[in-house]
Amino acid sequence: MTTAHTQAPLSPEAAALATGPAAHPLHPAHAPTGQLAFGVFFQGVNSSTIWRLPASGDQVAWESFEALARTAERGRFAAFFLGEGLRLREHRGVPFELDVAGRPDAQTLLAALAGVTERIGLVATQNTTFNDPVDLARRLQTLDLLSGGRAGWNVVTTDNAWTGENFRRGGYLDHADRYVHAEAFVRVAEQFWRGEQIAHDGAHYAVRAHGDLPASAQGRPVLFQAGASPAGQDFAARTADVVFSPHGTLEAAVDFRRGIVERTLAAGRDPGSVKILPGAEIILAATEAEAAEKVRWVRDQQIGPEQALALLEQYWGRDLSAFDPDGPLPDVPPEVVESGVTRGAGFQFADAEQLTRTWREEAAEKGQSILEFARARAGARRGTFTGSYDTVADRLVEFARLGAIDGLNITPWLIPSGLDDIVDELVPRLQERGVYPAEYAGSTLRENLGLPVG
Amino acid sequence: MSTTVARPAPSAGTRSAGPTQPLPVLAVDLVTDPSLLSGLAGLARGLEEAGAGALTLSDGGLHPIHVAAHLAPLTSELGLLPRTDAIYVEPFHLATQLMSLDHLSHGRAGWLLQAETDPAVPAAVGREVLGLEATAREAADVLTAVRAVWDSWAPDAVVRDTERGVYVDAARLQYADIEAETFSLRGPAITPRSPQGLLPVLVADTDRAAVGERTAAELADGRALDLDVSGGARTRQLAARIESAGPVRLVRLVGLDLEADPLGTVAQLAAALRSRALVAPAPVPRRTLRTRLGLPAAPFRPDPARRSDRARQIREESA
Ligand SMILES: Cc1cc2nc3c(=O)[nH]c(=O)nc-3n(C[C@H](O)[C@H](O)[C@H](O)COP(=O)(O)O)c2cc1C
Repeated sequence: MTTAHTQAPLSPEAAALATGPAAHPLHPAHAPTGQLAFGVFFQGVNSSTIWRLPASGDQVAWESFEALARTAERGRFAAFFLGEGLRLREHRGVPFELDVAGRPDAQTLLAALAGVTERIGLVATQNTTFNDPVDLARRLQTLDLLSGGRAGWNVVTTDNAWTGENFRRGGYLDHADRYVHAEAFVRVAEQFWRGEQIAHDGAHYAVRAHGDLPASAQGRPVLFQAGASPAGQDFAARTADVVFSPHGTLEAAVDFRRGIVERTLAAGRDPGSVKILPGAEIILAATEAEAAEKVRWVRDQQIGPEQALALLEQYWGRDLSAFDPDGPLPDVPPEVVESGVTRGAGFQFADAEQLTRTWREEAAEKGQSILEFARARAGARRGTFTGSYDTVADRLVEFARLGAIDGLNITPWLIPSGLDDIVDELVPRLQERGVYPAEYAGSTLRENLGLPVG
Repeated sequence: MSTTVARPAPSAGTRSAGPTQPLPVLAVDLVTDPSLLSGLAGLARGLEEAGAGALTLSDGGLHPIHVAAHLAPLTSELGLLPRTDAIYVEPFHLATQLMSLDHLSHGRAGWLLQAETDPAVPAAVGREVLGLEATAREAADVLTAVRAVWDSWAPDAVVRDTERGVYVDAARLQYADIEAETFSLRGPAITPRSPQGLLPVLVADTDRAAVGERTAAELADGRALDLDVSGGARTRQLAARIESAGPVRLVRLVGLDLEADPLGTVAQLAAALRSRALVAPAPVPRRTLRTRLGLPAAPFRPDPARRSDRARQIREESA
């Protein structure tokens, strides 16, 4: 194992953020490994994958998934992730037409990928509110066994009754109960994986079962948690092996790491037992100037006039089609205060009144049109690593040395070729710099994430 | 996709299936026991080469849908039919998992509909055991709901109209809008229409009583004749069973001895039954399972009442 983080002084930016002893720049209890692991997040339904280009493949075809997984494995990625949404997204009462829509069931697809890949981890995003714990645990353990110990579960929660309309129990959870329920759910799954007798009497149902499958090569599926609320972070600190949350800047990543280390210690766990892999978009080119040009081009492709107006409609809660995308932000108040009109994972807005006012002022100050504002926001929202191959490699080395993150979960902006330049140009540079594995550490996901085994 | 229809059997006179129904597909049942794991891929490939036309996956611990999915890219022509429960599951998940299997197997997926009677299964999901009649009613409701989900996207719903910036056309989607006795379900599917549109749904003889007559005889696409070969496979007896069985879509070898010489047994049986024109010839490439089973194509059936852009229509009407 290389220890790049002790070799050279930190950059001024990183040094300013590091407050701990030199060997443990962020938190005395946390020893950075100085290593990064990559995952690829095939989102399916989303607004950032460019589907308008001729190079864009079918978002549901088996061939697209297989090609992306093979490229990721060639690049020694630790994990291949799939997203989940249990109701088709809607916008103002109609299925949302402008973004990539539709995806296969995550675990069904991963079970197939297990047969055509050898080392890469296979992680399914699966909801705890609209699944049954024993059924889900059995399916995950099936995946873990079929893949030789490469399964992971990205535990997500949602409480909305709108999604619940597709399920027997309906929308039965209060928002505050999401993580309470999720934790009980995960405990039942863990009992199943350990082959124990399960007698769970929860607030919502009682479960009687017995785990009856052998343990996989990694013991049990690796648990990921995606969700940035304090309750979500506490849940992760108590339960998860990996946290997968959005934060783009070094400063935000450092803060998040400190918070997770503190919460993990408070939960009585070793702080090294929870890895952090933020979601990120990577846009690369040979030179800085070319990369800047490419970022502009990617944003233009991601967000056209229709998408820009739809984005604002989510927050304004009303029809904005009369507004010119090249004109200023709408000077009308929002109609929906409680929640957005676009329904789907991750869309919940507290105070639309306040938010839309701030945005109007911000855009007016910068002289941005609706289209320009939406494009700028799309970039800012994501953890984005853009620049020349060497600049991005150097930046990532800094993140690794500081111990701010343990890797990235990369969201390709093009399917299926969106990882090609990352694997061919960025990965070799990170390997040369000693922060990225030259080979898979082992055959299980647990080993390849550097998680404690056993 | 091929538009050829199944060739009639050379000597169709003696067989029991009707004149328009092709010979049944020969299937082998694999119980998804974890002890199979290390040899699973080799076994499936071997069975395909030995002349099996399909595999059914019965629940022996590993989830049958995932085992079927796992085998999809490792095989090329086999039909893949998980034999899996309709009752103590979420119909929406079940529909999505099965149509995903159809996508990744390029139209080789089917569903051998089972209605669980083991009381351990409802206990694991926190439900009471249903009586026989309630089970049968629910099996019918779930099959109807699952089909409505499968039928919620037109084949050309993904338009990718770069000019207008429209990826999917809401007017080519419809809600499922199922209100059953014990559940409701709204839709549309979260997965675009799969290659077969509607997967073939068969009921095995073993499951007929639990599933109920209505589902087995009216709602399902056909019957799977179960031939128990656990005591050895004697061609003459099996042939007689097929001849006297009435119309079946699948002839399913159950209880194959995996310790002995399963590939040899299947190769020998396939050849013998084919020479008597009792089961369909070995599968040819790129035919959907529906076609091979003699089922007509399943076109999208748009229902104006369930159109998913109805909100827009209503808005336009009231404007
Ligand atoms: C990087 C990332 C990816 C996510 N992917 C999904 C997903 O695929 N499906 C889903 O239902 N929720 C997804 N979520 C949403 C979270 O699970 C969670 O519901 C949301 O962040 C709100 O939780 P919180 O209140 O704890 O932040 C994702 C969140 C993050 C940060």
